[in-house]
Amino acid sequence: MAHKFPPILLVFNRPTALYSHRIGSKTIFVIHSPLLSLSQAMLSRGIVSPFRTPTFPFPTTTCKYSISDQDLESRGFFLRRTISDLNLDHLNSVFVAVGFPRRDPEKIKLALEHTESMLWVEYKKTQKPVAFARATGDGVFNAIIWDVVVDPSFQGIGLGKAVMERLVEELLEKGICNIALYSEPRVLGFYRPLGFVADPDGIRGMVYSRKQRKKK
Amino acid sequence: MLTHNVAAPSSIRPILSYDCHCQVSNQLLFPLSPNLNPGTWKANRKLKGCRLKASFWESIRSGILKNNTTQIIEPPSTLEKEEEPLPEEFVLVEKSQPDGEVEQIIFSSGGDVDIYELQALCDKVGWPRRPLSKLAAALKNSYMVATLHSVRKLASSEGDEQKKLIGMARATSDHAFNATIWDVLVDPCYQGQGLGKAMVEKLIRTLLQRDIGNITLFADSQVVEFYRNLGFEPDPEGIKGMFWYPRY
Repeated sequence: MAHKFPPILLVFNRPTALYSHRIGSKTIFVIHSPLLSLSQAMLSRGIVSPFRTPTFPFPTTTCKYSISDQDLESRGFFLRRTISDLNLDHLNSVFVAVGFPRRDPEKIKLALEHTESMLWVEYKKTQKPVAFARATGDGVFNAIIWDVVVDPSFQGIGLGKAVMERLVEELLEKGICNIALYSEPRVLGFYRPLGFVADPDGIRGMVYSRKQRKKK
Repeated sequence: MLTHNVAAPSSIRPILSYDCHCQVSNQLLFPLSPNLNPGTWKANRKLKGCRLKASFWESIRSGILKNNTTQIIEPPSTLEKEEEPLPEEFVLVEKSQPDGEVEQIIFSSGGDVDIYELQALCDKVGWPRRPLSKLAAALKNSYMVATLHSVRKLASSEGDEQKKLIGMARATSDHAFNATIWDVLVDPCYQGQGLGKAMVEKLIRTLLQRDIGNITLFADSQVVEFYRNLGFEPDPEGIKGMFWYPRY
């Protein structure tokens, strides 16, 4: 952004939490009104200073997400957080549609039963899942987000973002500060605006490979 | 609060033989599993088709063999199709001192950990303090907790032994597809002997035996090589580990 930020805004090292609109010759800054837990997390990370609350008169949105629950509902999408009513065969189809291997639905059921948090979007008209994400972890320190998918026919309208924002908030509300995921290279740009950083401080994500083992 | 109550591993370990294509001592101290009917574990069992990777064992042996008699007694590291399930607890290494004292390093995936001992171990390796209740909850919610304990006993006094937690690794999982390894630590006094390597190796093997196909972890830059040697690949196919607003 070519705007000159007032000094106070420089405490944001992730300018993704705020953006600006140009209206005529004026620039309006909009900051998402932070979630309680989200703001606490950001405070503790020094992303927001506790003593310098913005005082300039610009409008703030009242919604804590990019798209509100009401917005989604009015467009025909329901947000769901439990496995009940989730048709696993339909979910499996979404996985396959985005390129995951088709997995045994029984195994998927087992995985979901041992999943700490999950969020999915149901398309009212078809009653099918069109977006999904889940997180596993130890419930106190760490969580890893898996299986983030949006049905190709419904991509690009903010459903993936909607699911991710809410999942992260849920984890933060549980007090989990270490939220991680593994991202394919082509979707790094999807996660970055959501606040995810790749290889922070040189930490590398590693995966066990049997082929690798036999090479030795 | 979690406390550890291993059924005394001291005197009741039958020694079995098994086919082994290696130069290491041919003795396996049979693991003590609380689930087994006491009648069954005394029976002789032969482990099928075990082939040890000489290089791996050489590296362990050279670290351990000093002036003591040391026996390496553990199941092979390569995963064979017809392999029997890894026992929940077994002796990794046994060292005999000249004065008759015997020290065993015991691996256990049973998961019973004294969190006070764990806290002390975390302090010892220099990790930031975490609330005990949270530690306990984290362990409880972990799919698998692997530990290394050192058990010292004098040959003279029967049943008198000192047991100490010297290593831990844990994994969270969805029980079906993915597992992530966290918190791998080994007491600094016992580092450099291949124990951490063996512990993670066993953890991996147990996970694979439970059909968890995707085993992942996040490694600090200085330990990437350590895990690479265990079969982990960083950024496979360009897949990157990402963290939400990490604290540096």
